[in-house]
Amino acid sequence: MTKTWMSLMVGLAVAGAWLLGGGVLTADAQTEITLTIESNRFQPEEIKVKGGAPFVLVITNKDKGPEEFESHDLRIEKVIPAGKTVRLKIPALKPGTYRFVGEYHEQTAKGRIIAE
Amino acid sequence: MGATFVITLREAFEASLILGIVYTYLEKIGARDSYRYVTWGGGLGLLASVGMGVGVGYLSGPLLDLGPDLIGATVIFAAVVLLTWHAWWMQQHARSIRGQVQHQIEEARATQRLWLVGLIAFTGVFREGAETVLFLWGIMAQAASMNGWGNVLGGVTGVATAAAIGWAIFHGGRQLSLSKFFSVTTVFILLLAAGLFSTGIGRLQGLGFLPMGEPLWDTSFLLSDRNVLGSFLGGLVGYRARPSALEVTGYVVYLVVAAVLLWGRTPRTDSRRRHTAIFPG
Repeated sequence: MTKTWMSLMVGLAVAGAWLLGGGVLTADAQTEITLTIESNRFQPEEIKVKGGAPFVLVITNKDKGPEEFESHDLRIEKVIPAGKTVRLKIPALKPGTYRFVGEYHEQTAKGRIIAE
Repeated sequence: MGATFVITLREAFEASLILGIVYTYLEKIGARDSYRYVTWGGGLGLLASVGMGVGVGYLSGPLLDLGPDLIGATVIFAAVVLLTWHAWWMQQHARSIRGQVQHQIEEARATQRLWLVGLIAFTGVFREGAETVLFLWGIMAQAASMNGWGNVLGGVTGVATAAAIGWAIFHGGRQLSLSKFFSVTTVFILLLAAGLFSTGIGRLQGLGFLPMGEPLWDTSFLLSDRNVLGSFLGGLVGYRARPSALEVTGYVVYLVVAAVLLWGRTPRTDSRRRHTAIFPG
């Protein structure tokens, strides 16, 4: 049984490496969209992008505390420490609305990406 | 205050369930002396969470963009493997243990490397630990300037409530017979692990390593995965209001593979091995 487990782990590791390689290799110049967090709000709160084209979301947290950019629609949970900038690669989106929140300040930090 | 309560409750619930499982498990097999593995595992998980929470503040550039996510995804899949292994082990013994016969428990202890439950505790705490630490840190920093101590109280109460629920569930489990406890917990762990597995797939989708696709269904009008009940079900069985096809597939495939792994072998093999052990030659 130990062997089975070991091959399972090795399999997972190989799959992980393959996925990682694929993800890094496909990185190329893409549209950048800036999003700022200030006073526990996103600026802008509505982002319009072209559907079907990947882009990079550049999020800067100007607040004094950390914020977590979270989107269930996009499967992203990303902590952005105070004063930091994070670049998130967003895959090509089908037309539609994708909501996101700042999990640490959900009442105020809300926004959406609209892919057209 | 209510909002911060829900957030920390949500973040800490899964860790509390996992700690509840492993502590009760050790108690059930009469290995209270091995509690230290879980305590150490959980404690180190907490330390690692604080370390990572502080650490991300010093990262920048590509390291900050990807580093924490890769660690996060790795921890998720490690937890899935460890939990599956633990469930497999319990399933093997649920078959052979009838009642609370002491020598069978001794045998069970001997064949399980107990420090591995420490590893389970570690991954359980570390998984959402850094986020919880950062969150609490953030609201404490704000409390000082904005008089928001209610938020801090809410956050701390959320963690405490999660811990209490984990404790209560498995304290109740102590009344069950050993074999029943093993069987119930096995199923429970598999559902938990299946939920984790599909969460991991979702993370890989979010990172762009797997294609995203549209949600297979949308039950957010019935039960949002953001409110208290939805997040409980999220932690327990991996409920998602808008799951992607790949997440659902991953969930089902995991359960099928795990079920084959656990229940696929005929019990006869097991009893024969046991028999030879008692009467060698």
